[in-house]
Amino acid sequence: MAIIDWLRVNWLYVAVPVLVFLGVFFVSLWLRRLSYNALEGWLKARKTEVGKIIISVTRKPFLHWLLILGAYIALQVSVLGPQWKSLGGKILASIFIAYFGWILIRLSREFVQFYLNKTKTPQRVITVTTSIAQVTIIVIGVLMLLELWGAPMTPILIVLIAAIVVAILVFRDIFPGLVSGFQLTQQKQIKTGDLIRLESGEEGRVEEITWRNTQIKTLEGNIIIIPNTKLMQTTITNCGKQPEVAKEPFQFSTRLHLKELTGLSASNLSQLASSLKEIPDAVVYYHTHSFIEEYQFLTPEPTNDFALWVQDALGYDILAERLASIDTFEFPTVGALRQMIIGVIQDFLAQTSNEREAPPGNEFHFIKSISIVLPTPYAAHDLQEFVSILRRISIGSLYFHIFEARLRLQRVTNDFSLWLEECLGEKELAERITRLDPYNYTMENLREIIIQLCEKRL
Amino acid sequence: MNPKINVKDYEPIVGKSYIEELRMLARRLSGKTILNINSTFEGGGVAEILSRLVPLLNQLGVDVRWQTISGEAQFFKVTKKLHNALHGKDEPISDDEFSLFLETTERNLNQIDFSGDIMFIHDPQPAALITKKSDIGKKWIWRCHIDISHPDAQVWRFLEQFVTNYDAAVFSSPNFAQQLPIRQFFAPPSIDPLSDKNKELSPEAVDAVLAKYGLNRDKPLILQVSRFDRLKDPLGVIKAFELVRKNFTCQLVLAGGTASDDPESGEVLQEVRERAAGNSDIHILDIPPGSDIDINALQRAATVIMQKSLREGFALTITEALWKAKPVVASAVGGIPLQVKNRLTGLLCHSVEGAAYALRQILANPDYGRWLGRNGREHVRQHFLIVREIRDYMLMFLTLEHREDVIYL
Repeated sequence: MAIIDWLRVNWLYVAVPVLVFLGVFFVSLWLRRLSYNALEGWLKARKTEVGKIIISVTRKPFLHWLLILGAYIALQVSVLGPQWKSLGGKILASIFIAYFGWILIRLSREFVQFYLNKTKTPQRVITVTTSIAQVTIIVIGVLMLLELWGAPMTPILIVLIAAIVVAILVFRDIFPGLVSGFQLTQQKQIKTGDLIRLESGEEGRVEEITWRNTQIKTLEGNIIIIPNTKLMQTTITNCGKQPEVAKEPFQFSTRLHLKELTGLSASNLSQLASSLKEIPDAVVYYHTHSFIEEYQFLTPEPTNDFALWVQDALGYDILAERLASIDTFEFPTVGALRQMIIGVIQDFLAQTSNEREAPPGNEFHFIKSISIVLPTPYAAHDLQEFVSILRRISIGSLYFHIFEARLRLQRVTNDFSLWLEECLGEKELAERITRLDPYNYTMENLREIIIQLCEKRL
Repeated sequence: MNPKINVKDYEPIVGKSYIEELRMLARRLSGKTILNINSTFEGGGVAEILSRLVPLLNQLGVDVRWQTISGEAQFFKVTKKLHNALHGKDEPISDDEFSLFLETTERNLNQIDFSGDIMFIHDPQPAALITKKSDIGKKWIWRCHIDISHPDAQVWRFLEQFVTNYDAAVFSSPNFAQQLPIRQFFAPPSIDPLSDKNKELSPEAVDAVLAKYGLNRDKPLILQVSRFDRLKDPLGVIKAFELVRKNFTCQLVLAGGTASDDPESGEVLQEVRERAAGNSDIHILDIPPGSDIDINALQRAATVIMQKSLREGFALTITEALWKAKPVVASAVGGIPLQVKNRLTGLLCHSVEGAAYALRQILANPDYGRWLGRNGREHVRQHFLIVREIRDYMLMFLTLEHREDVIYL
């Protein structure tokens, strides 16, 4: 009863703050509708996702903030004593700061995820960035609350600065990597699956980009891990995404060779023809390929040792020309090539009455080619890798897959064409390489021509 | 191991893939020990090659060791006679001298530590060490660095009884091959592009050496670098120079030294000095062992480099000249035609007159000389650098057990 009596007398003391509270609330509600409608219209015209995030996160809390504002104004117009007004104001301000901070945290999380997901940033980078934003907001919020309630700020600020310095020292190696990782992905310089070539000559496919390092599988099959900071400082050639993968990888081998002396020699044509019938294929192979190997850097002259000797030591220029013009590329086996050489010499002998003798010291010495084949670490899984490896393999490797594979190991054609057709379905490219007569090019030219043919397909 | 030598330093010269292949082979030799034995640690081509080859192979991870045989001066006089006789020189050798050779070998058999899996014996001096094979087994390879295409029959018969017990022999030229019941490989020797004798030199360094020996920088320089040995025909070089000098202003430098296993070189040097006396354009330089920078500078300063040998193993001086992109005039003997493809990587000759004719062509046509020089350098890069010799030896060590023509390792 006493309260009712008090209200009868002092109803204005209550009515004014309540009316002010309700007035502020309804006016704010109206203003919120106006402003949010305008904002939605503006965002619709620009088709931006950012505004949608802001609206969805802040629409409800905005109402709560207006309630707090209304309560604060009502408190200020009430007849309460100044100390009560101050205390109530601080409580309301504290609620507002906490609530606003919480919404800011939600907004920052949404923004970070939105932007970094768009750039396909690794999840770890997103998590770290979100955490940094949240901690920053919380720290600022706590500092504001402490300031509001009159806490001593100097020691707190000192502790805070010290903590930041310690954090920078502890994470000094991580931050540049983090930034570099962010840059790498954001600028889309490299992506997982890309074949890249570094300034240092390393080449390989990107396996993974983490927030500190990038993992590359080299053409030799090794895994190298490069800090993102270093990667950002080097020149990278990006050959792009992996094309069609072969059914089976092409395993590059290399061929080194030894020259075995047979102790056999010839000092005239009859002896040469006679020995040619007896010697092993490896000897015929040596003497039809040694000039190409020895002088491949200098001249594409596809001659053979028999032609050279017949000219230099015996002086039979016409026979030398006939022997040199035997097209090695035409013969599927060393045996068939041998028969051709013997036939040419015997034809010539049949028309020659006086045989010439080589001057002493200029006899023809029969040498046997011993090939030693070793697997290299290089394996191509697709055409792009094939080209990259082709650029770096030794002349011995190129020689093995082109020359030895066809004639000495009696495969139908060179190894490259076989793989391109059977494992990659590149029939036309395979045929074009098969049609190349390798005996008419220097080895480096041959390498370049095959690379160019492959690059046209990429 | 020589800390200066680094396999990686050869990458810019021969390419990365070449060095990668060496490493692949070295890995396959892991666990094997190779023992080199020759007659001297200093002087002559064999010691020079081994002093580079052994540390490089060690650096690649191959356990390669090097020992020398020891002997009195009299022993080395006999081995020099053997050397000359194997080169085809008429050199009578008495039974006592053969006995001295065998006695010294016997002493060395007891002194040398033969621990290793492969014994790599260089040249005739230590060739008889093979008698140890019956006691210790192992694989034995005889590396013959000299020209034995026309050996004295008596001396070859003496040596052959040892050579046939080896598992394989290695020769520097196909025409050194003999009818032997063992495998014979062909592996030309090589030079080291990074050694003092072959590395790049500044023009100032070259000028300093020319000044040291009182040579005129502005006068075309014909050079022959070789030991003072009759088989190198220094007198023939002087004759060829005299023929050329009638029409061309030029100077001749005969630069050489002596090796501890060559007691004859002093006599030859004296003969050459007497022959050149009175001609101020002929410079006879007796250069002590170890003066590699001086030799390098002389070769770089030369207009033409000669090697007018009567017999020759391989002639590494020609390889050095070609590597410096110099036009060369050389006799078509021994291993020289392997390096000098006539009119492509240099000029070959068969006589004093032929040498003079070739010299005139180059002196009169500097562009032609430069073209020959460029080709020669590329030829050496591909076939006669130390990395290729290392590769050949590693391939031999790895394939001694194999008899196939195509071997998959």
